[in-house]
Amino acid sequence: MIEISDLTKRYASTTAVDHVTFTARPGRITGFLGPNGAGKSTTLRVLLGLDVATSGSALIGGRRYRDLRLPLRTVGALLDGAGPVPDRRAIDHLTWIAQSNRIGPARVREVLDLVGLAGAARQRVRKYSLGMGRRLGIAAALLGDPEVLVLDEPVNGLDPDGIRWVRRFLREQAAAGRTVLLSSHLMTEMSETADDVVIIDHGRIVGHGTLQDVTGGHASLEEAFFSLTGGSTQRGSTQAGR
Amino acid sequence: MRTVPAAARAELTKIFTLRSVWLITALVLGLHVLVNWSAMSLYRDAVDKIGPDGLIEIFTGERNPATVEMLDSLSGGSLQMTMFLPVLAVVISGQEYRSRQLGLTLLAVPQRGRLLAAKVLATTGYTLLVAVMIAAISTVFTYAEVKNWNAGLVTSPAAVRLDLAFLAYALLFSLVSMSATMVVRSTLIGVMITIALVAVTMTQILAMTAPAVDALLPMSAGRNLLLDPTLSTLSSGPRQAMLVLIAWAIVGITAAGVTLSRRDAR
Repeated sequence: MIEISDLTKRYASTTAVDHVTFTARPGRITGFLGPNGAGKSTTLRVLLGLDVATSGSALIGGRRYRDLRLPLRTVGALLDGAGPVPDRRAIDHLTWIAQSNRIGPARVREVLDLVGLAGAARQRVRKYSLGMGRRLGIAAALLGDPEVLVLDEPVNGLDPDGIRWVRRFLREQAAAGRTVLLSSHLMTEMSETADDVVIIDHGRIVGHGTLQDVTGGHASLEEAFFSLTGGSTQRGSTQAGR
Repeated sequence: MRTVPAAARAELTKIFTLRSVWLITALVLGLHVLVNWSAMSLYRDAVDKIGPDGLIEIFTGERNPATVEMLDSLSGGSLQMTMFLPVLAVVISGQEYRSRQLGLTLLAVPQRGRLLAAKVLATTGYTLLVAVMIAAISTVFTYAEVKNWNAGLVTSPAAVRLDLAFLAYALLFSLVSMSATMVVRSTLIGVMITIALVAVTMTQILAMTAPAVDALLPMSAGRNLLLDPTLSTLSSGPRQAMLVLIAWAIVGITAAGVTLSRRDAR
Protein backbone atom coordinates (compact mmCIF):
# COMPACT_ATOMS: atom_id res chain seq x y z
CA MET A 1 0.00 0.00 0.00
CA ILE A 2 1.10 3.55 -0.75
CA GLU A 3 0.21 6.19 1.82
CA ILE A 4 0.78 9.86 1.11
CA SER A 5 -0.03 11.91 4.19
CA ASP A 6 -0.17 15.72 4.39
CA LEU A 7 2.74 15.96 1.97
CA THR A 8 4.13 19.37 1.12
CA LYS A 9 7.06 20.24 -1.13
CA ARG A 10 8.26 23.81 -1.56
CA TYR A 11 10.96 25.18 -3.87
CA ALA A 12 11.99 28.62 -2.63
CA SER A 13 8.73 30.58 -2.86
CA THR A 14 6.85 28.04 -5.00
CA THR A 15 4.70 25.34 -3.41
CA ALA A 16 4.73 22.41 -5.84
CA VAL A 17 2.79 20.03 -3.59
CA ASP A 18 0.46 21.39 -0.94
CA HIS A 19 -0.73 19.12 1.90
CA VAL A 20 -1.46 16.17 -0.37
CA THR A 21 -3.05 13.09 1.18
CA PHE A 22 -4.18 9.92 -0.55
CA THR A 23 -3.79 6.17 -0.49
CA ALA A 24 -3.17 3.64 -3.27
CA ARG A 25 -4.43 0.22 -2.23
CA PRO A 26 -3.28 -3.27 -3.19
CA GLY A 27 -5.26 -5.00 -5.91
CA ARG A 28 -6.28 -1.72 -7.53
CA ILE A 29 -4.93 0.66 -10.10
CA THR A 30 -4.87 4.19 -8.74
CA GLY A 31 -4.76 6.85 -11.43
CA PHE A 32 -2.99 10.06 -10.49
CA LEU A 33 -4.33 12.74 -12.80
CA GLY A 34 -3.45 16.36 -13.25
CA PRO A 35 -2.41 18.92 -15.83
CA ASN A 36 1.27 19.46 -16.57
CA GLY A 37 2.94 21.17 -13.62
CA ALA A 38 0.16 20.19 -11.20
CA GLY A 39 2.55 18.37 -8.86
CA LYS A 40 2.17 14.74 -10.00
CA SER A 41 5.81 14.08 -10.75
CA THR A 42 6.99 15.95 -7.66
CA THR A 43 4.69 13.82 -5.47
CA LEU A 44 6.04 10.65 -7.08
CA ARG A 45 9.65 11.84 -6.74
CA VAL A 46 9.15 12.44 -3.01
CA LEU A 47 7.45 9.04 -2.70
CA LEU A 48 10.46 7.43 -4.40
CA GLY A 49 12.99 9.21 -2.21
CA LEU A 50 14.43 11.37 -4.99
CA ASP A 51 13.22 14.67 -3.57
CA VAL A 52 13.02 15.59 0.09
CA ALA A 53 9.58 16.54 1.43
CA THR A 54 9.22 19.90 3.14
CA SER A 55 6.70 18.27 5.49
CA GLY A 56 4.42 15.25 5.64
CA SER A 57 5.19 11.69 4.71
CA ALA A 58 5.10 9.31 1.76
CA LEU A 59 5.28 5.63 2.67
CA ILE A 60 5.30 2.35 0.80
CA GLY A 61 4.20 -0.59 2.92
CA GLY A 62 4.65 1.64 5.97
CA ARG A 63 8.27 2.50 5.16
CA ARG A 64 10.06 5.34 3.42
CA TYR A 65 11.50 4.33 0.04
CA ARG A 66 14.95 5.37 1.27
CA ASP A 67 14.72 2.77 4.04
CA LEU A 68 14.10 -0.19 1.70
CA ARG A 69 17.22 -2.36 1.57
CA LEU A 70 16.78 -3.84 -1.92
CA PRO A 71 14.00 -1.50 -3.11
CA LEU A 72 13.51 -2.88 -6.61
CA ARG A 73 12.25 -6.15 -5.11
CA THR A 74 9.42 -4.17 -3.49
CA VAL A 75 8.80 -1.21 -5.79
CA GLY A 76 9.12 -0.91 -9.56
CA ALA A 77 9.16 2.65 -10.82
CA LEU A 78 9.17 4.41 -14.14
CA LEU A 79 10.15 8.07 -13.98
CA ASP A 80 9.35 10.61 -16.63
CA GLY A 81 12.56 12.39 -17.63
CA ALA A 82 15.12 10.03 -16.06
CA GLY A 83 16.66 7.65 -18.54
CA PRO A 84 19.65 5.53 -19.40
CA VAL A 85 22.90 6.92 -20.80
CA PRO A 86 22.36 6.82 -24.59
CA ASP A 87 25.79 5.22 -25.25
CA ARG A 88 24.95 2.16 -23.21
CA ARG A 89 23.33 -0.98 -24.61
CA ALA A 90 19.88 -1.79 -23.25
CA ILE A 91 21.01 -5.10 -21.81
CA ASP A 92 23.90 -3.42 -19.99
CA HIS A 93 21.55 -0.78 -18.62
CA LEU A 94 19.23 -3.43 -17.17
CA THR A 95 22.19 -5.51 -15.96
CA TRP A 96 23.61 -2.78 -13.69
CA ILE A 97 20.17 -2.08 -12.27
CA ALA A 98 19.63 -5.79 -11.61
CA GLN A 99 23.07 -6.22 -10.02
CA SER A 100 22.44 -3.34 -7.63
CA ASN A 101 19.52 -5.28 -6.12
CA ARG A 102 20.99 -8.78 -6.46
CA ILE A 103 18.67 -9.78 -9.28
CA GLY A 104 20.07 -12.46 -11.58
CA PRO A 105 20.83 -12.07 -15.31
CA ALA A 106 18.03 -14.52 -16.23
CA ARG A 107 15.48 -11.98 -15.02
CA VAL A 108 17.05 -9.32 -17.28
CA ARG A 109 16.37 -11.54 -20.29
CA GLU A 110 12.87 -12.29 -19.00
CA VAL A 111 11.83 -8.65 -18.73
CA LEU A 112 13.35 -7.80 -22.11
CA ASP A 113 11.26 -10.58 -23.57
CA LEU A 114 8.19 -9.44 -21.64
CA VAL A 115 8.32 -5.89 -23.07
CA GLY A 116 9.20 -7.08 -26.56
CA LEU A 117 12.77 -5.80 -26.63
CA ALA A 118 14.64 -9.12 -26.69
CA GLY A 119 15.66 -8.58 -30.31
CA ALA A 120 16.98 -5.08 -29.61
CA ALA A 121 18.70 -5.87 -26.31
CA ARG A 122 22.21 -5.32 -27.69
CA GLN A 123 21.40 -2.05 -29.40
CA ARG A 124 22.61 1.18 -27.89
CA VAL A 125 19.80 3.11 -26.27
CA ARG A 126 20.52 6.13 -28.49
CA LYS A 127 19.12 4.09 -31.42
CA TYR A 128 15.85 3.41 -29.62
CA SER A 129 12.60 5.12 -30.59
CA LEU A 130 10.59 6.94 -27.92
CA GLY A 131 8.31 3.93 -27.54
CA MET A 132 11.23 1.50 -27.23
CA GLY A 133 12.74 3.75 -24.56
CA ARG A 134 9.45 3.62 -22.66
CA ARG A 135 9.38 -0.18 -22.91
CA LEU A 136 12.94 -0.27 -21.58
CA GLY A 137 11.87 1.88 -18.64
CA ILE A 138 8.98 -0.48 -17.93
CA ALA A 139 11.37 -3.44 -18.17
CA ALA A 140 13.58 -1.81 -15.54
CA ALA A 141 10.55 -1.30 -13.29
CA LEU A 142 9.65 -4.98 -13.57
CA LEU A 143 13.13 -6.36 -12.83
CA GLY A 144 12.48 -7.12 -9.17
CA ASP A 145 8.98 -8.54 -9.77
CA PRO A 146 7.76 -5.90 -7.30
CA GLU A 147 4.59 -5.76 -5.21
CA VAL A 148 4.16 -2.05 -5.91
CA LEU A 149 4.37 -0.29 -9.28
CA VAL A 150 4.75 3.48 -9.56
CA LEU A 151 4.60 4.58 -13.17
CA ASP A 152 4.87 8.18 -14.34
CA GLU A 153 3.29 8.62 -17.80
CA PRO A 154 4.00 5.01 -18.86
CA VAL A 155 2.20 5.13 -22.22
CA ASN A 156 3.86 8.30 -23.51
CA GLY A 157 5.36 7.50 -26.89
CA LEU A 158 3.90 4.01 -27.10
CA ASP A 159 2.06 2.84 -30.21
CA PRO A 160 -1.51 1.48 -29.88
CA ASP A 161 -0.21 -2.06 -29.42
CA GLY A 162 2.11 -0.88 -26.67
CA ILE A 163 -0.65 1.06 -24.94
CA ARG A 164 -2.91 -1.97 -25.01
CA TRP A 165 -0.11 -4.12 -23.68
CA VAL A 166 0.56 -1.73 -20.78
CA ARG A 167 -3.15 -1.56 -19.95
CA ARG A 168 -3.54 -5.35 -19.92
CA PHE A 169 -0.33 -5.78 -18.00
CA LEU A 170 -1.36 -3.31 -15.29
CA ARG A 171 -4.76 -4.99 -14.99
CA GLU A 172 -3.03 -8.35 -14.52
CA GLN A 173 -0.73 -6.85 -11.90
CA ALA A 174 -3.65 -5.38 -9.95
CA ALA A 175 -5.60 -8.63 -10.27
CA ALA A 176 -2.63 -10.41 -8.71
CA GLY A 177 -3.01 -8.16 -5.65
CA ARG A 178 -0.30 -5.64 -6.49
CA THR A 179 -0.53 -1.93 -5.84
CA VAL A 180 -0.36 0.17 -9.00
CA LEU A 181 -0.03 3.96 -8.92
CA LEU A 182 -0.25 5.39 -12.39
CA SER A 183 0.36 9.04 -13.22
CA SER A 184 -0.95 10.45 -16.47
CA HIS A 185 -2.60 13.40 -18.09
CA LEU A 186 -4.37 11.21 -20.68
CA MET A 187 -8.03 11.03 -19.62
CA THR A 188 -9.23 8.33 -21.99
CA GLU A 189 -6.35 6.07 -21.08
CA MET A 190 -6.92 6.63 -17.38
CA SER A 191 -10.68 6.02 -17.60
CA GLU A 192 -10.01 2.66 -19.25
CA THR A 193 -7.32 1.60 -16.82
CA ALA A 194 -7.84 3.02 -13.32
CA ASP A 195 -10.03 1.69 -10.51
CA ASP A 196 -9.45 4.70 -8.27
CA VAL A 197 -8.61 8.24 -9.28
CA VAL A 198 -6.76 11.04 -7.53
CA ILE A 199 -6.90 14.45 -9.22
CA ILE A 200 -4.31 17.09 -8.40
CA ASP A 201 -4.24 20.69 -9.55
CA HIS A 202 -1.87 23.47 -8.51
CA GLY A 203 -0.34 21.10 -5.97
CA ARG A 204 -3.61 20.32 -4.20
CA ILE A 205 -5.88 17.29 -4.35
CA VAL A 206 -9.15 18.44 -5.86
CA GLY A 207 -10.86 15.06 -6.11
CA HIS A 208 -10.32 11.44 -5.21
CA GLY A 209 -12.27 8.21 -4.94
CA THR A 210 -13.27 5.32 -7.15
CA LEU A 211 -13.56 6.05 -10.86
CA GLN A 212 -17.34 5.83 -10.53
CA ASP A 213 -17.41 8.25 -7.58
CA VAL A 214 -15.24 10.83 -9.35
CA THR A 215 -17.07 10.65 -12.67
CA GLY A 216 -20.52 10.53 -10.99
CA GLY A 217 -22.75 13.28 -12.38
CA HIS A 218 -20.41 13.90 -15.33
CA ALA A 219 -20.46 12.56 -18.87
CA SER A 220 -16.88 11.31 -18.67
CA LEU A 221 -13.71 11.40 -16.60
CA GLU A 222 -12.55 14.27 -18.80
CA GLU A 223 -15.66 16.30 -17.91
CA ALA A 224 -15.20 15.49 -14.23
CA PHE A 225 -11.54 16.46 -14.43
CA PHE A 226 -12.23 19.88 -15.91
CA SER A 227 -15.09 20.47 -13.58
CA LEU A 228 -12.83 19.78 -10.61
CA THR A 229 -9.82 21.68 -11.91
CA GLY A 230 -11.84 24.62 -13.26
CA GLY A 231 -10.39 24.20 -16.78
CA SER A 232 -12.28 24.54 -20.06
CA THR A 233 -13.31 21.62 -22.27
CA GLN A 234 -11.33 23.14 -25.13
CA ARG A 235 -8.15 23.09 -23.04
CA GLY A 236 -9.10 19.56 -22.08
CA SER A 237 -9.39 18.39 -25.66
CA THR A 238 -5.91 19.73 -26.37
CA GLN A 239 -4.39 18.08 -23.34
CA ALA A 240 -6.17 14.78 -23.73
CA GLY A 241 -5.02 14.63 -27.30
CA ARG A 242 -1.33 14.97 -26.44
CA MET B 1 26.19 -2.26 4.67
CA ARG B 2 25.60 -5.68 3.10
CA THR B 3 24.17 -4.06 0.02
CA VAL B 4 27.34 -2.06 -0.71
CA PRO B 5 29.11 -4.88 -2.62
CA ALA B 6 26.07 -5.32 -4.91
CA ALA B 7 25.90 -1.56 -5.49
CA ALA B 8 29.66 -1.39 -6.13
CA ARG B 9 29.36 -4.22 -8.65
CA ALA B 10 26.58 -2.32 -10.40
CA GLU B 11 28.77 0.81 -10.46
CA LEU B 12 31.64 -1.20 -11.97
CA THR B 13 29.27 -2.52 -14.65
CA LYS B 14 28.29 1.08 -15.41
CA ILE B 15 31.97 1.96 -15.80
CA PHE B 16 32.86 -1.01 -17.99
CA THR B 17 29.83 -0.53 -20.26
CA LEU B 18 30.45 3.12 -21.01
CA ARG B 19 32.19 3.70 -24.35
CA SER B 20 33.70 7.04 -23.36
CA VAL B 21 35.51 5.34 -20.47
CA TRP B 22 37.08 2.81 -22.84
CA LEU B 23 38.00 5.55 -25.28
CA ILE B 24 39.72 7.73 -22.67
CA THR B 25 41.48 4.72 -21.15
CA ALA B 26 42.81 3.70 -24.57
CA LEU B 27 43.92 7.27 -25.29
CA VAL B 28 45.72 7.62 -21.94
CA LEU B 29 47.52 4.28 -22.27
CA GLY B 30 48.30 4.86 -25.96
CA LEU B 31 49.70 8.31 -25.24
CA HIS B 32 51.81 6.95 -22.39
CA VAL B 33 53.32 4.28 -24.66
CA LEU B 34 53.97 6.86 -27.37
CA VAL B 35 55.69 9.33 -25.02
CA ASN B 36 57.86 6.60 -23.50
CA TRP B 37 58.67 5.15 -26.91
CA SER B 38 59.78 8.50 -28.28
CA ALA B 39 62.04 9.18 -25.27
CA MET B 40 63.48 5.67 -25.03
CA SER B 41 66.41 6.13 -27.40
CA LEU B 42 67.46 9.34 -25.59
CA TYR B 43 67.56 7.56 -22.23
CA ARG B 44 69.12 4.37 -23.63
CA ASP B 45 71.95 6.32 -25.25
CA ALA B 46 72.50 8.26 -22.02
CA VAL B 47 72.54 5.03 -19.98
CA ASP B 48 75.09 3.51 -22.40
CA LYS B 49 77.38 6.48 -21.67
CA ILE B 50 77.23 6.27 -17.84
CA GLY B 51 80.79 6.69 -16.68
CA PRO B 52 82.70 5.09 -13.80
CA ASP B 53 81.63 8.07 -11.63
CA GLY B 54 78.00 6.82 -11.91
CA LEU B 55 76.79 10.08 -13.45
CA ILE B 56 74.41 10.30 -16.39
CA GLU B 57 73.91 13.16 -18.84
CA ILE B 58 70.35 13.11 -20.18
CA PHE B 59 70.36 16.74 -21.24
CA THR B 60 73.56 18.41 -22.39
CA GLY B 61 75.56 19.85 -19.52
CA GLU B 62 73.36 18.31 -16.78
CA ARG B 63 75.22 15.44 -15.11
CA ASN B 64 73.40 13.74 -12.23
CA PRO B 65 73.69 10.45 -10.34
CA ALA B 66 72.33 7.81 -12.73
CA THR B 67 70.24 5.90 -10.18
CA VAL B 68 68.50 9.07 -8.99
CA GLU B 69 67.96 10.31 -12.55
CA MET B 70 66.52 7.05 -13.86
CA LEU B 71 64.20 6.63 -10.85
CA ASP B 72 63.06 10.21 -11.40
CA SER B 73 62.41 9.36 -15.04
CA LEU B 74 60.36 6.33 -13.94
CA SER B 75 58.12 8.32 -11.61
CA GLY B 76 58.08 11.46 -13.77
CA GLY B 77 56.75 9.50 -16.75
CA SER B 78 53.85 8.14 -14.71
CA LEU B 79 53.26 11.54 -13.10
CA GLN B 80 52.58 13.12 -16.51
CA MET B 81 49.76 10.67 -17.13
CA THR B 82 48.01 11.45 -13.84
CA MET B 83 46.84 14.64 -15.47
CA PHE B 84 44.43 12.44 -17.44
CA LEU B 85 43.30 9.96 -14.77
CA PRO B 86 41.21 12.55 -12.88
CA VAL B 87 39.48 13.39 -16.17
CA LEU B 88 38.61 9.71 -16.49
CA ALA B 89 37.14 9.85 -12.97
CA VAL B 90 35.09 12.90 -14.00
CA VAL B 91 33.65 11.02 -16.99
CA ILE B 92 32.83 8.01 -14.79
CA SER B 93 31.14 10.20 -12.20
CA GLY B 94 29.52 12.56 -14.72
CA GLN B 95 27.53 9.85 -16.48
CA GLU B 96 24.92 10.22 -13.71
CA TYR B 97 24.04 13.67 -14.98
CA ARG B 98 23.55 12.61 -18.60
CA SER B 99 19.89 11.78 -19.34
CA ARG B 100 19.29 12.29 -15.61
CA GLN B 101 20.50 8.77 -14.87
CA LEU B 102 21.00 9.82 -11.24
CA GLY B 103 17.25 9.32 -10.69
CA LEU B 104 17.49 5.70 -11.81
CA THR B 105 20.60 5.15 -9.72
CA LEU B 106 18.86 6.44 -6.61
CA LEU B 107 15.83 4.27 -7.32
CA ALA B 108 18.16 1.27 -7.31
CA VAL B 109 20.25 2.39 -4.31
CA PRO B 110 18.28 4.99 -2.34
CA GLN B 111 20.58 5.03 0.71
CA ARG B 112 22.96 7.85 -0.15
CA GLY B 113 25.77 6.66 2.11
CA ARG B 114 25.77 3.22 0.52
CA LEU B 115 25.65 4.70 -2.96
CA LEU B 116 28.58 6.98 -2.21
CA ALA B 117 30.57 4.08 -0.75
CA ALA B 118 29.80 2.01 -3.87
CA LYS B 119 30.86 4.84 -6.16
CA VAL B 120 34.12 5.39 -4.27
CA LEU B 121 34.88 1.65 -4.36
CA ALA B 122 34.11 1.27 -8.06
CA THR B 123 35.98 4.42 -9.12
CA THR B 124 38.91 3.39 -6.94
CA GLY B 125 38.93 -0.07 -8.52
CA TYR B 126 38.87 1.17 -12.11
CA THR B 127 41.30 4.05 -11.56
CA LEU B 128 43.66 1.72 -9.77
CA LEU B 129 43.52 -0.71 -12.69
CA VAL B 130 44.46 2.02 -15.18
CA ALA B 131 47.11 3.46 -12.83
CA VAL B 132 48.69 0.01 -12.45
CA MET B 133 48.81 -0.28 -16.25
CA ILE B 134 50.48 3.15 -16.47
CA ALA B 135 53.02 2.16 -13.82
CA ALA B 136 53.63 -1.14 -15.64
CA ILE B 137 54.26 0.66 -18.94
CA SER B 138 56.68 3.07 -17.23
CA THR B 139 58.45 0.12 -15.62
CA VAL B 140 58.76 -1.84 -18.88
CA PHE B 141 60.24 1.12 -20.75
CA THR B 142 62.60 2.03 -17.90
CA TYR B 143 63.72 -1.60 -17.75
CA ALA B 144 64.38 -1.56 -21.49
CA GLU B 145 66.53 1.55 -20.96
CA VAL B 146 68.56 0.36 -17.96
CA LYS B 147 68.76 -3.42 -18.45
CA ASN B 148 72.37 -3.35 -19.68
CA TRP B 149 73.48 -1.15 -16.78
CA ASN B 150 71.32 -2.04 -13.74
CA ALA B 151 68.50 -4.48 -14.56
CA GLY B 152 67.43 -4.63 -10.93
CA LEU B 153 66.71 -0.89 -10.72
CA VAL B 154 63.00 -1.18 -11.60
CA THR B 155 62.40 -3.74 -8.85
CA SER B 156 64.54 -2.02 -6.22
CA PRO B 157 62.82 -0.87 -2.98
CA ALA B 158 63.16 2.76 -4.11
CA ALA B 159 61.38 2.02 -7.42
CA VAL B 160 58.62 0.05 -5.69
CA ARG B 161 58.13 2.91 -3.22
CA LEU B 162 57.77 5.35 -6.12
CA ASP B 163 55.26 3.07 -7.87
CA LEU B 164 53.17 2.80 -4.71
CA ALA B 165 53.33 6.56 -4.18
CA PHE B 166 52.22 7.05 -7.79
CA LEU B 167 49.27 4.70 -7.32
CA ALA B 168 48.23 6.51 -4.13
CA TYR B 169 48.49 9.89 -5.84
CA ALA B 170 46.59 8.80 -8.96
CA LEU B 171 43.84 7.30 -6.84
CA LEU B 172 43.45 10.21 -4.42
CA PHE B 173 43.48 12.90 -7.13
CA SER B 174 40.92 10.89 -9.11
CA LEU B 175 38.65 10.69 -6.06
CA VAL B 176 38.92 14.46 -5.69
CA SER B 177 37.79 14.95 -9.30
CA MET B 178 35.03 12.38 -8.94
CA SER B 179 33.74 14.17 -5.84
CA ALA B 180 33.95 17.61 -7.45
CA THR B 181 31.82 16.34 -10.34
CA MET B 182 29.22 14.98 -7.90
CA VAL B 183 29.09 18.34 -6.14
CA VAL B 184 28.72 20.45 -9.30
CA ARG B 185 26.64 17.78 -11.11
CA SER B 186 28.23 18.40 -14.49
CA THR B 187 30.91 16.55 -16.45
CA LEU B 188 31.99 19.74 -18.21
CA ILE B 189 32.42 21.74 -15.00
CA GLY B 190 34.13 18.72 -13.39
CA VAL B 191 36.65 18.64 -16.25
CA MET B 192 37.17 22.40 -15.96
CA ILE B 193 37.85 22.15 -12.21
CA THR B 194 40.32 19.32 -12.80
CA ILE B 195 42.11 21.21 -15.58
CA ALA B 196 42.26 24.33 -13.38
CA LEU B 197 43.84 22.33 -10.53
CA VAL B 198 46.39 20.85 -12.94
CA ALA B 199 47.08 24.16 -14.70
CA VAL B 200 47.82 26.06 -11.49
CA THR B 201 50.58 23.54 -10.71
CA MET B 202 51.87 23.26 -14.27
CA THR B 203 52.32 27.01 -14.70
CA GLN B 204 54.54 27.02 -11.57
CA ILE B 205 53.23 30.49 -10.70
CA LEU B 206 52.33 29.56 -7.11
CA ALA B 207 55.46 27.42 -6.74
CA MET B 208 57.56 30.51 -7.42
CA THR B 209 55.49 33.11 -5.58
CA ALA B 210 53.86 31.22 -2.69
CA PRO B 211 55.33 27.72 -2.30
CA ALA B 212 53.42 27.09 0.95
CA VAL B 213 50.12 27.57 -0.92
CA ASP B 214 51.38 25.60 -3.91
CA ALA B 215 52.10 22.66 -1.58
CA LEU B 216 48.39 22.52 -0.75
CA LEU B 217 47.29 21.82 -4.35
CA PRO B 218 46.67 18.18 -5.32
CA MET B 219 48.91 18.01 -8.39
CA SER B 220 51.67 19.92 -6.61
CA ALA B 221 51.34 17.39 -3.80
CA GLY B 222 51.71 14.60 -6.35
CA ARG B 223 54.83 16.21 -7.76
CA ASN B 224 56.22 16.69 -4.25
CA LEU B 225 55.46 13.05 -3.47
CA LEU B 226 57.04 11.55 -6.59
CA LEU B 227 59.94 13.67 -7.76
CA ASP B 228 63.43 13.83 -6.30
CA PRO B 229 64.23 17.10 -4.48
CA THR B 230 67.80 17.04 -5.78
CA LEU B 231 66.56 17.20 -9.38
CA SER B 232 63.38 19.32 -9.08
CA THR B 233 62.27 22.32 -7.07
CA LEU B 234 59.57 21.05 -4.71
CA SER B 235 57.29 22.94 -2.37
CA SER B 236 57.04 20.30 0.37
CA GLY B 237 58.31 16.93 1.51
CA PRO B 238 56.64 13.61 0.64
CA ARG B 239 54.94 13.20 4.04
CA GLN B 240 53.17 16.55 3.83
CA ALA B 241 52.30 15.84 0.19
CA MET B 242 50.57 12.59 1.15
CA LEU B 243 48.65 14.30 3.94
CA VAL B 244 47.52 17.03 1.53
CA LEU B 245 46.22 14.44 -0.95
CA ILE B 246 44.39 12.48 1.75
CA ALA B 247 42.83 15.71 3.07
CA TRP B 248 41.63 16.71 -0.44
CA ALA B 249 40.06 13.27 -0.94
CA ILE B 250 38.34 13.29 2.47
CA VAL B 251 36.99 16.83 2.03
CA GLY B 252 35.85 16.05 -1.53
CA ILE B 253 34.08 12.81 -0.65
CA THR B 254 32.41 14.45 2.35
CA ALA B 255 31.16 17.31 0.18
CA ALA B 256 29.87 14.82 -2.41
CA GLY B 257 28.07 12.90 0.34
CA VAL B 258 26.45 16.06 1.71
CA THR B 259 25.35 17.09 -1.80
CA LEU B 260 23.91 13.65 -2.50
CA SER B 261 21.96 13.55 0.79
CA ARG B 262 20.71 17.10 1.00
CA ARG B 263 19.87 18.04 -2.58
CA ASP B 264 16.99 16.70 -4.64
CA ALA B 265 18.07 14.26 -7.33
CA ARG B 266 17.41 16.57 -10.26
